[in-house]
Amino acid sequence: MIAAEALRMSAAVGRADHVAAVRITGGGAFNVLNRLSPRELFVRDGQILHTLLLREDARPLADLYVCADDEDFILLAEGLSGPALAEHVRAHAGANQIDVIDLTRDHAMISLDGPYAWEVFAELAGPEVIGLPYMSFFHGDGMTSFRVGKTGEYGYCLMVPRERVSSLYATLLDRGAAFDVAEADLAALDQCALENWFFNVRREGATDASPVELQLQWRVSYKRTFIGSEALARRRAEATRRLLMCVSSRELVMGAPVTHDGHTIGTIVNAGFSHTRGDWVATALVDRAYSHAGIAAYTSGDSPLRTLAAPALNNRSLYVNAQKHSYHTRHEAKFPPLVLPETLCGSPTER
Amino acid sequence: MTTDISSIIATRERVLERLRTALIRQLRLHQTVDELDPDTPLFGSGLGLDSLDAVEIVVCLEQEFGIRLGDDAPSAARMRTLNTIANLVLAAQDGAK
Repeated sequence: MIAAEALRMSAAVGRADHVAAVRITGGGAFNVLNRLSPRELFVRDGQILHTLLLREDARPLADLYVCADDEDFILLAEGLSGPALAEHVRAHAGANQIDVIDLTRDHAMISLDGPYAWEVFAELAGPEVIGLPYMSFFHGDGMTSFRVGKTGEYGYCLMVPRERVSSLYATLLDRGAAFDVAEADLAALDQCALENWFFNVRREGATDASPVELQLQWRVSYKRTFIGSEALARRRAEATRRLLMCVSSRELVMGAPVTHDGHTIGTIVNAGFSHTRGDWVATALVDRAYSHAGIAAYTSGDSPLRTLAAPALNNRSLYVNAQKHSYHTRHEAKFPPLVLPETLCGSPTER
Repeated sequence: MTTDISSIIATRERVLERLRTALIRQLRLHQTVDELDPDTPLFGSGLGLDSLDAVEIVVCLEQEFGIRLGDDAPSAARMRTLNTIANLVLAAQDGAK
């Protein structure tokens, strides 16, 4: 099974070397993170908060999970290496007493994603992991298991000592063979993230856009002071663009302009062919006046665009229930299609 | 902007504005109207709503727009974001014409 199909229909395993991890200890850990996170740092022990790291000019620096681990915090980040993440935290510690440990020195990450990822993971770690809530984590079996993902499906990120990573990876593939598990590289995971409207710090984050333009305001609080908060307040008042999801039957190219009636109204900032949908999916930064779902009047080069309400898929994981479903009996279950008619999921008003 | 497009956009903006206002009231959200982006995930990540909130949204749709959710589409897919709920409202309004 190819990665794209496995990620949407069964499960796929991959080396998540793009995820950096650090541990922050010490009495000042909360204060430092509270200054770095644009989102209110309300996270209980064993839970995970999805937030950002911003630059002073309010552009995203990293896509960040903050995991409360007793008195410590574990940070999982995309967009920075382990050493760079550790250095960023230290640089903003001020007078706070903290110790920052780059976990990626001794640990590696494995991703496991798909509508039956929970079943594959249970084969490895026991049935009790099936109930692990989204955005939580636990230590056990010599690894730390984070119930997170950016594919729109059940997802896990497993942090394993480097000396064990090859054997665990091989075990997952071996046990996963009964579930048609495939290997997924970063490109396959990025495509899933795109289809499911997950912010990609390597794509949308490589633009000059702020969280206001990226539709990431749920990850910021305007009532707080944090790195980038002054610029964010200013950019909130001045925002003229907004991220928009679009699809096309023809190729879409990152960096290409989006036009309407001969005028440029935006730019494609992320694009890829969706094997699941059978067309091209993209995100574009578009002038706010035009940045709405349900329109079939824009183009990019020679490619006609249709704008959609995100996400672009009706994920199988929305309907797979660990209490009553299994990959082995999947054919007995009746699931909705992965791509819904657009009157239900896409663009009812398009002409 | 052509007349066709401006009419489509104006209609969606009106629906989104009513939805935002109604959901802030019904769900006691701490965000202001302009902080609720149209494609913000409502459940799981994003606003982090739960199954009780989903019931509140169903009630809200009935009270604010007179829409009763039928069984013609999976509800999980219909309430993922403000924009997907707006699709429901627009489809219902289109069907009523």
